[in-house]
Amino acid sequence: MSTGLVDNWLNLDTFGAIYPFVGTEGMLAVLGIAFWLGWHILQIRKESAEFKADMENIKKQGGPGKVLEAEAKREMNDSVGG
Amino acid sequence: MDNELTALGIIFTEFYYWVTVVFMFLIHVGFCIYEVGASRYKHHTHTLMKNTMVIPLVTVTFFFFGWWIYFAFVNGPWIIGDLVAAPFATPWSELMGTHMGGAPQEGSVLTADDTAFWARINGVFWAAFLLFSWTAASIVSGAVIERIRPSAFWILAVVIGSFTWIIDASWGWSWNGWMVQKLGYHDAYASGVIHAIAGGFALGVLLVLGPRIGKFRKDGTPRNINPHNPWLVTVGLFLIYTGFWGFYVACNIPIIDVYGPAMLDVPDKSFFSATNIYLQPTTLSAITFNFLMSLSGGLMAAYLVSDGDAFWTYSGGLAGVIGASSGNDLYHPIQAMLIGAGGAILAYKMHYWVERKFKIDDAVGAVAVHGYAGFYGIVVAGFMLWGYPSSPFEGYAAISPWGNFLGALIMFFVLGFFPALIVSKILHGMGMLRIPREIEMVGLDINHESLRAMEAEDVAEAIREEAAASGA
Repeated sequence: MSTGLVDNWLNLDTFGAIYPFVGTEGMLAVLGIAFWLGWHILQIRKESAEFKADMENIKKQGGPGKVLEAEAKREMNDSVGG
Repeated sequence: MDNELTALGIIFTEFYYWVTVVFMFLIHVGFCIYEVGASRYKHHTHTLMKNTMVIPLVTVTFFFFGWWIYFAFVNGPWIIGDLVAAPFATPWSELMGTHMGGAPQEGSVLTADDTAFWARINGVFWAAFLLFSWTAASIVSGAVIERIRPSAFWILAVVIGSFTWIIDASWGWSWNGWMVQKLGYHDAYASGVIHAIAGGFALGVLLVLGPRIGKFRKDGTPRNINPHNPWLVTVGLFLIYTGFWGFYVACNIPIIDVYGPAMLDVPDKSFFSATNIYLQPTTLSAITFNFLMSLSGGLMAAYLVSDGDAFWTYSGGLAGVIGASSGNDLYHPIQAMLIGAGGAILAYKMHYWVERKFKIDDAVGAVAVHGYAGFYGIVVAGFMLWGYPSSPFEGYAAISPWGNFLGALIMFFVLGFFPALIVSKILHGMGMLRIPREIEMVGLDINHESLRAMEAEDVAEAIREEAAASGA
């Protein structure tokens, strides 16, 4: 069993492609492009869900003004060791 | 690879490009640091990840189609000819993988000459171009911080990084591109093919994206949103300078026999030299002189014009190099210095004029430093190098002011501004371009920050309990 065309290193001057499964490059390209496009689709979904959660978080805390006030208070506490 | 001299030449070339890639990596490190320094605390994580993910996304797409475009589109296509076959650059080519240079697979469209030539050079040459692609996308990244949706930016990054910039490289930054042949376009160190296009692209996105909340007062006058950490910004810019050495060197071909059969084919003559991308002889010495002198001209002028502002002095150094890059293979160093100074002044003045006049919020001055200085660099080279041959080969147009001016318009507007405007409009129309207003106000990292605050409170509570239990 061998996944590649290399079975020794004696005829180096005749070697071409030496990665495993030579001949499957077309299929690999399709898989690679599908992986890339799939990543975008999944990322967009995750980002939309993240923004939805962010909006709920902001609403729960009383709106952007309250969030900023709380953040300022936390930073003040941090800096004075509260 | 059957004799030492051939092997040395090939492996030197392979190693040369590999080193440029390592240096150019620092450009991206610099851009990431710079952007984090320029953004406000509440956006840091998203700002960093936005630019970091340019690396994988542009890399894979440049593998899938960017590299092939560079070789296939030299005639437009259909501007002066058809698509050009480039079987060594397709993602399914055996030469886009580990290869020893022997005969191609049975039934392959590749020839034995193709495999012998490309086996060792393809990956490193691809990577050198790819690092330019990251740079193009990264330039845009800084301009749009704190309000673009990362998903939208990554789509735009692929558009410029693996599509439009490499079309411009094919047209105007290859030895046989149609712009070189017909316009005499000369842009040796990429004032236009990287910087003007990226600046134009950023402007197109900004026009649709709009300014950050709070950037402009009700009367339209701009507020200054200062960098969170000016020192990180300057360290980032220093790293970009460092990476720029790799960028410059990667624009050259390290060693070639100009009179050899692969080039001019002059019998009984040899002249080994480095060449620029147009195969015109140059030297590393020349570009070292000019890089440093144009950097210096830019720094000095920017320091004066900005009253010693650190951000603009550093950016002016970059604008100086970018402004002189088109002709830095041929300029005298003092010419490079003066042209660089002009680029820095132009970038500074134009940034604030455009900001006031058109209410464009370019958070890091990317459009100015890269776009306007790059455009200027191409135009100046057209005048300075007027009448020089644009190629060592017969039949090409000579360098001229009109050829380079037309080239600057193509770079900035045709391949930069308009594609960005169109894609941004589409993303905007789909509600995908800008983050929701409330999130922009409180910061993209709100959930990270809330979680961090809860975790910190949890730890503080545990310490209080421990203290109470021990009677401390």
